[in-house]
Amino acid sequence: MRQAASQLAPAERLRVAVHAADVTRRSALSRVVAEAGHVVVGVEDAADVVLADGGLPPGETRPAVTLGGADRDLSGVLSRDAGANQIDAAIRAVAAGLIVRLPEATEGGFAAIGETDGHALLTPRELEVLGALAEGLTNKAIARRLNISLHTVKFHIESLFRKLGARTRTEAVAKASERRRYETINL
Amino acid sequence: MTDQADLLAQFSSALAARTEAAKNAIVAIHLPHGRHITGMVWQSDVVVASEQSLPRKDEFELVAPGGSALTAKIAGRDPSTNIVMLRLAAPLASPSIVASEAQAGAIALVIGADGSGGASARLGLVNLAGPEWHSSRGGLIDRRIVLDVGLARREEGGPVFDATGGCLGMSTFGPRGQVIVIPTATIGRIAPQLAKDGRIARGWLGVALQAVAVPDALRESAEQSSGLMVMSVVEGGPAAQAGVLAGDIILSVDGTSTHRFRRIAKLFGSDSIGRKADIRLIRSGSVMSVQTTIAERRAA
Repeated sequence: MRQAASQLAPAERLRVAVHAADVTRRSALSRVVAEAGHVVVGVEDAADVVLADGGLPPGETRPAVTLGGADRDLSGVLSRDAGANQIDAAIRAVAAGLIVRLPEATEGGFAAIGETDGHALLTPRELEVLGALAEGLTNKAIARRLNISLHTVKFHIESLFRKLGARTRTEAVAKASERRRYETINL
Repeated sequence: MTDQADLLAQFSSALAARTEAAKNAIVAIHLPHGRHITGMVWQSDVVVASEQSLPRKDEFELVAPGGSALTAKIAGRDPSTNIVMLRLAAPLASPSIVASEAQAGAIALVIGADGSGGASARLGLVNLAGPEWHSSRGGLIDRRIVLDVGLARREEGGPVFDATGGCLGMSTFGPRGQVIVIPTATIGRIAPQLAKDGRIARGWLGVALQAVAVPDALRESAEQSSGLMVMSVVEGGPAAQAGVLAGDIILSVDGTSTHRFRRIAKLFGSDSIGRKADIRLIRSGSVMSVQTTIAERRAA
């Protein structure tokens, strides 16, 4: 009975071994883990989860969350700049036997360079407006930030909706991020 | 028995016979946790597989045709064409790969490794057979071939055959789970370079770019309606050294307009490394030029 209750306890304390080559990174990650209510243990000690900066040490077989790790077979993979909330959530999920991935990693697949038709390309100003939309700013706040009139903001948003084929602000942000994912060119 | 039933039975037996023969063309490549992906036997001691699905490790355990164990070492990886090459510790029987051209609507037999030395099979059509294309990692793929089959993860990297027994190429996953084929011609072009150098050298500026429309007020001085906006600059890369900043809009590289990216991609082949390049760009409302030297792309 008591065992069942502790399994359901919402904020279970886990033993987390933090692995990072860089000392500063290691102490920063240890702090994040401790502040999330877990116990930081040594890499050699018994641990529920390993949190690694980059790749895992060879031979490590315990459930692990890596930041910026590339191996598809790890239980948890976050980006190198993952926030404290993501790290805590990933540690708990991996300890519970789940697999954690970033949305773009599951999209994956070997893709072609995307090329949007010329008339649907956004202008630099529209990209700025889009960035502000993504932050959830109101039209008034966008006008203030970009130092343009409310009328101009509305004009840019209408143009964004048309070019992205979106009907709402959320849809515009989602479609633009989809485009960015497939159309960013690394040269 | 009617003639029709005969035809169907013949069709079925022919497919089963082809699948049985194809088991000699594949290996299973072991991944952690008891999983595997498929590799395609390219030469008696060389296997190719899907680069995106093979972990970054130097050595792998394989299951050879028939079920015996085998080890292989990575000989080279090319993320830009999604081809990884492994060299086998002991040779297998020489494969007989005859390249075949994809045709939309033609039958495609997709072979995967079952993990114990045999083949698994899927039957579909060539859904789309298009011209050459560039991957988002900058590689040139000789033809766009999309299949209408589903594929298990363990089957990725196996050969795809047409009705004549010719090989269209290697199966892999495109975006959103779509099954595409890396053409035999592309593997034939990349494999010798991978065997020799372990990688495919490519030119590199160290920038992430996104196509944008040039603002109306600048179209006249820019002489074009679109360009590539710099989203980020890799520290210490050639672009960073030339003073390129995030937010700049690149209009042309060495006189080639960035209006169409495909033309720009061609400028960054292996022969571009070390070459000086003039970059024309828009920064804070005016058109200017910077010069840089193209470097070699760092390992992905």
